[in-house]
Formats: sequence, C-alpha cells, structure tokens
Amino acid sequence: MAFGTPSPSHKSKKLSQSIAFFVFRLLSFSVVAILLVILGFILVQGISVISWEFLTQMPREGMTEGGILPAIVGTLWLVVGSMLFAFPIGVLSGIYINEYAKDSWLKRFVKLMTNNLAGVPSIVFGLFGMTLFVNQLGFGDSILAGSLTLGLLALPVVIRTTEEALKSIDNSFRVGSLALGATKWQTTSRVVLPMAFPNIITGLILSIGRVSGETAPILFTVAAYFLPKLPNSIFDQVMALPYHLYVISTSGTNIEASRAMAYGTAFVLIVIVLLVNLLANWLRRYYGKKVKMN
Amino acid sequence: MNQLDKELLQIKTKVEEMWTLVDFQLTSGKEALLSSDEELARRVIKSGKKVNAYDIKIDRMCENIFALFNPVAIDLRWVLAILKINSNLERIGDYAESIASMLKEATPPIEPTLLEESRLLKMFEATEAMLRDVRQAFLEENTELARQVIKQDKRLNKIHAKTDKVLMQYFQTNPDNIYQSLKVAGIIRKLERIGDHTTNIAEEIVFYVDAKVVKHKQKKKRNKDKE
Amino acid sequence: MNSVETKDVHLYYGDFHALKGITMAMRKNQVTAFIGPSGCGKSTYLRCFNRMNDLIDGVKIEGDILIDGVDIYKTNIQVDDLRKHVGMVFQKPNPFPKSIFENVAYGLRVNGTKDKQFIEERVERSLQQAALWDEVKDKLKKSAFELSGGQQQRLCIARALAIEPSVLLMDEPASALDPLSTAKIEELIHQLKENYTIVIVTHNMQQAGRVSDHTAFFYLGELVEYAKTKTIFTNPKDQRTQNYITGRFG
Repeated sequence: MAFGTPSPSHKSKKLSQSIAFFVFRLLSFSVVAILLVILGFILVQGISVISWEFLTQMPREGMTEGGILPAIVGTLWLVVGSMLFAFPIGVLSGIYINEYAKDSWLKRFVKLMTNNLAGVPSIVFGLFGMTLFVNQLGFGDSILAGSLTLGLLALPVVIRTTEEALKSIDNSFRVGSLALGATKWQTTSRVVLPMAFPNIITGLILSIGRVSGETAPILFTVAAYFLPKLPNSIFDQVMALPYHLYVISTSGTNIEASRAMAYGTAFVLIVIVLLVNLLANWLRRYYGKKVKMN
Repeated sequence: MNQLDKELLQIKTKVEEMWTLVDFQLTSGKEALLSSDEELARRVIKSGKKVNAYDIKIDRMCENIFALFNPVAIDLRWVLAILKINSNLERIGDYAESIASMLKEATPPIEPTLLEESRLLKMFEATEAMLRDVRQAFLEENTELARQVIKQDKRLNKIHAKTDKVLMQYFQTNPDNIYQSLKVAGIIRKLERIGDHTTNIAEEIVFYVDAKVVKHKQKKKRNKDKE
Repeated sequence: MNSVETKDVHLYYGDFHALKGITMAMRKNQVTAFIGPSGCGKSTYLRCFNRMNDLIDGVKIEGDILIDGVDIYKTNIQVDDLRKHVGMVFQKPNPFPKSIFENVAYGLRVNGTKDKQFIEERVERSLQQAALWDEVKDKLKKSAFELSGGQQQRLCIARALAIEPSVLLMDEPASALDPLSTAKIEELIHQLKENYTIVIVTHNMQQAGRVSDHTAFFYLGELVEYAKTKTIFTNPKDQRTQNYITGRFG
C-alpha cells in the first residue's frame, strides 16, 4: 500500500487513543479536584477563626472559646521528640541495610519486617506504646512515651526513604572512592551520604508531616483531653492538634459551639503539613543544586 | 560474510580479471612468435591500456580499504600483498605488450634455427607456466605451489644466462640475420624480467598466507646459486 | 622487570568459572592492553589487581597475583594500602560531586594526609600530569560536574595519580568519550607510561594498537594469546585471535 494513504485501521486506532487519553485526563483531574474541594472547604470554614489570639491563647469555656496554643506546642514537642528518636536510628539502619549488609536471609528478613511495620495500623502502635513505654517502662502518659511511639511509626518510612536514596546513587561513585584506597565508611560518609542527602532529607520531612497528623498513637500515650498549660518536661502530658480536633468534634462539652474552633484547628494542622511539604521541596531543590548530580 | 570480506572479494575479482588480460597478452606474444599476426598485436597493445586501468582501479580500492576498514593481521597482509601483486602484474603486462610489438616489427617470422637455438619458445612456455601456477597459488592460497614457482624461476635464469653465448654463435654462422637475433635477445631479457615479477608475486602470496618473508632469504640464496 | 605477575589464576562467580588459569606478566613502564569480546573475563582479570572483585559476593579466587613482587591476596595485605599502590580509572567518568580540587585531593585526604601545602602541590602536579591543569587552574573551586566528559575522565586520571600508584589500571577509559577526548587520553597514556605501569582494557582494537606495547587476547575466561602488540595485529598465532581482531568472530 502506498505511503500516505490512511490504513483502514487508522481511524479506530486514533479513536481508541483519544478515548484512553480522555479517561486518564478525567481521572487525574478529578483527584486534584477532590483534594482542592476538601482543602478549600476547610480553609474557607477555618480562616475566619484564625487570629493572633487563636494561635497564642489557651482554650477557654469548655474549648468553645480561646485558642489552641497548648495543642500547637504539644504537636511541636511530639514532632521534635519523635524525630530525635526516628532520624538517627532510621538513617543508620538504612545505611546499614543498603551499604553494609551482605545479601543474606537476615538482610531480607529485616527488609521484610520493615515493610510490614509500615503497614501496621497506627492504633496498634498506640496500644504497643501504651504497653511498653507507658506501663512497662513506667514513663506514664508523657511526651517521652508519645514521641517514642510516634518515632516507631515513622521509623519504617525513614528507613525506606534512606535506603531508596542510597540505592539511587550510582555504584560507580562508591567503586571510584574505594579504588582510591578509601575505607567503606569514608566512602559512605564522604561520597555517598552527601549525594543522597537531598533525598534523605525529603523523606525525613515527609515523615514529619505524617507524624504531626497522627491521632491514634498518641491517644493512649501522651494526649491530654484538656490541659490549658504548656509542658515543663518530657514527662508531662500535652495536648496535640489532631487529638484536639478529634475531641472538639466528637466529645467536646458543646460540639455545636466548638464547630468553628474545630475548623480553625483543622486549618492550622493542614497549613503545618503543607508548610512542611513545601519545606521538603525547597530543601531538595536547594541541596539538589548544591550537590549537582550528573 | 561481513562488509570487509565483500570489499576484499571485489578486489580479488578485479585482480583475477586483470590477470586474465595479462595472461592473454603473454600467450598472444607466443602466438605472434609463430605467425606474425598484426591484428593480434594490435589487440595486445589495446589490452595494455585496459591493464593500466585495472592497475589504477585496484590501487584505489586498496586505498579505500586502508582508509575505511583499518585492516589488521591477515587482512592487512592481504591488502599489502595485493598492492604489490597488482604493480607486478602491471609490469608483466607492460613487458608482454612490448614483446608483442617487437614481434610485430620482427617480420618475417623468426628463422627456425634461431628459434630453436635460443630456446625462446621454451622460455616462453616456462614463463607462461609460472604465471599460470602462481595464479593458481593465489586462488587457492597455496604457498607450496608459490614456493615451487620461485624455484622455477631458476630455469628461466639459466636460459637467460646462456643467451649471449648462444646468440654470439648464431651471429657468426648467420651474419645476415643480426636484426632478428637482436630482437630475440631483447625478448629473452623481457621474459626473464617477467619471470622475476612472477617470482615477486609468489613471494607476496607466501607473505600474506604464512606471514613469512621469503623475499630476502630467496635473494640471498639466489645470489649464492649464481656464485 | 615485571610489575604485575599472575600464576594460574582461577576466578569463580559462584558456580561460574570466569577465569581459567591465567598466567602472565606485565612489564614495568609498559602499556599492556587486554582485548576480547564482552564477558571474556578481561575486566574481571583487571579487577583482580586491585582486589575490586572482593566487593562482589560469592567470588572465589585461586592462584597467585604479585604486584611489584608482593602477593596481594596474602592475609596480611591491607586492601586500602594495595589500592593506593594500584590506581584505577573506570569506563564512565565518575568524579565525585565535589570541587575539582577536592576530587583530586580526595585520595590524599582519605589516606590521612593533612598537610595543606603538600596537598595543594600534589593536586597541581597530578592535574599537570593528567594534562588538565591549564584548563582548570582558574576554576579549581568549581564543581567537577561542570567539566566536559573528556575533562572529567582526565580529572579521574589525575585523582588516581595523586596518590602516586605504581600501576594504573584503566577499564575502557575512553569508551564513553568523543574522538578528540579519546585522542587526548591516548596521548596521555603514552606520557604516563614513563612513570607508571599501565594495564588497559579496551574494546577498541585500533586503540589497543595505538597505545599498547603488549596485547593480550582473552576468550571465554582464557588467555588465548599474549604478545607484542605489533605481532598481534600483523601476525597473530591463534586463529581465534585472528578472527577477533579482523572482525570475523562467531
């Protein structure tokens, strides 16, 4: 057949392609649309509540008035505490698994368990934290217990992202370093980690976002129903944003009256998570430029 | 068969075609010896131009092989050998051509006694045989045959060495036919040169097949033989 | 004198017999080229000389490998010391994501050199040896990734030279480079052999011809033929070598 004359199958091919593209486009747009609707709804409802007072004052009148300062501070404590625990252990485990461990059943087992851990429901972490940290180790309901529990929850994510970040570094860099007489640790710390850093840091920050929004793990380990004061030590209980939101929307003294407060809290929580994600993006770009890859 | 092989085969075909022409030139010379045929001589001289065209063509083809294919090992030796075989063939063709034109001028046909005593015909036949054998050696990559050809050259040299003496005798008995005997002397010299060039070709065949240089050794040996 | 010498070296990747009894010696201050089809073991053999095969799980090596007379697989040999003595340049330029200066200084730093002035002098000298100094002397603080591929490869050579090895292994050092950069690397190899013993793996037959004094042809884990480069390329003894270098393989 001469080149240039359309084949009989040409029309149907073109049609099926258009249909496929239309469906893909529709699906991906609808995901974005749903997200925008949720965010928009909360932002519109919550923005009117936001004020300097709301952010800096204690809750009053059975949490229907005043601010959410203790919950914000509590969440910050928990995030910092959990990351202090999860970062070093997670990053070092990731380094061990990817750089040091030989390919053995042990390594495979550890990786399998890490993946399983990531799939465990967060309420199970909460119960585990209560059993181990609160009761067995006697920390009581405290920032320490809550941070450790949240840390455990974040751990598989940190390990996985570290591992993936390291895996993405081309082996030629390691080999190049080793060939110059560098030890394995010198190679890891001076060549591999600096290169993997942007991706590791991104993973870490995303896990912060996850941790700051969790309710179940802190339910039995740290969160206070109502505690209008700031913590003095890591053995104090604190309020936390997600739990506070849960409380005032489901079991507050006057749910109807605190509806506006709930939207305000949700607004703050979402803004925190969004800011953390933006920070992650910015850091990745910043370090990505600094440690320019081939 | 890869592209280089195809190119080399094309060159080989060209060499064979050229060889056929040169064979024809030499054989025609012999025929002219027995019957002066002006038409034949004309064709020999005409084919000389064709031989020259082949010579240039083959040179150019070899040049391309060097430039485009970076030949190594047997390929490299083969192309080098072809270059030399080519120029030797071209020289043989030149000699055959001039023999033909000399015979044309040597009418009437060479006097039988002169032909007999100078052993010109024998020399012609030996040269033809050598060229035929070396061609076969080339086609079959038969170095044994090529080495035999190198040895055959000695027979030619022997005839050539005696030519002066034979012709001197002939002068004395046939002083009226000096013209023809001068021609005969010239032809014998050219046939001897053809033998040398044929030997060169044989040596190139040994070089490219066995990667052994027989040139130098053979010349030494030949010099020793002469002493 | 022989810089590298091996006796009956066998190497196994698990069950796979990758090197089958290789005995050969590489002369000091000469360039030895390894050629052969992919998977013939030439790179594996090269990596025995600085024990890079140690990094791969399940590799077993038998036989003796002597570098400047020392058996490098003896138990008292420190691998990092060996690798200071036997430098290596890889197929793909792999500069570290550091400045040009730090790339060259890296080998000195990881080997414990602290003297700033010494490091500066050595960096300059190595870059000069690698014929890169004039091109980079004004931008030593710039990232190595700003260099072209050919410059990066010469930087990797400078990096290897900075720790003053006696043997330089090159695993297809120009296969990722354009012809001009390749010519520069080859020119460099000619200069470097005055001070170093060079062993180069290459897939480029003409390159082996241009740069090396001796050539070894490997096939299916065996050393088929090892001779002067001139001999290999004009009159190889083994039919397999002939088939390979004339491109009539398989």
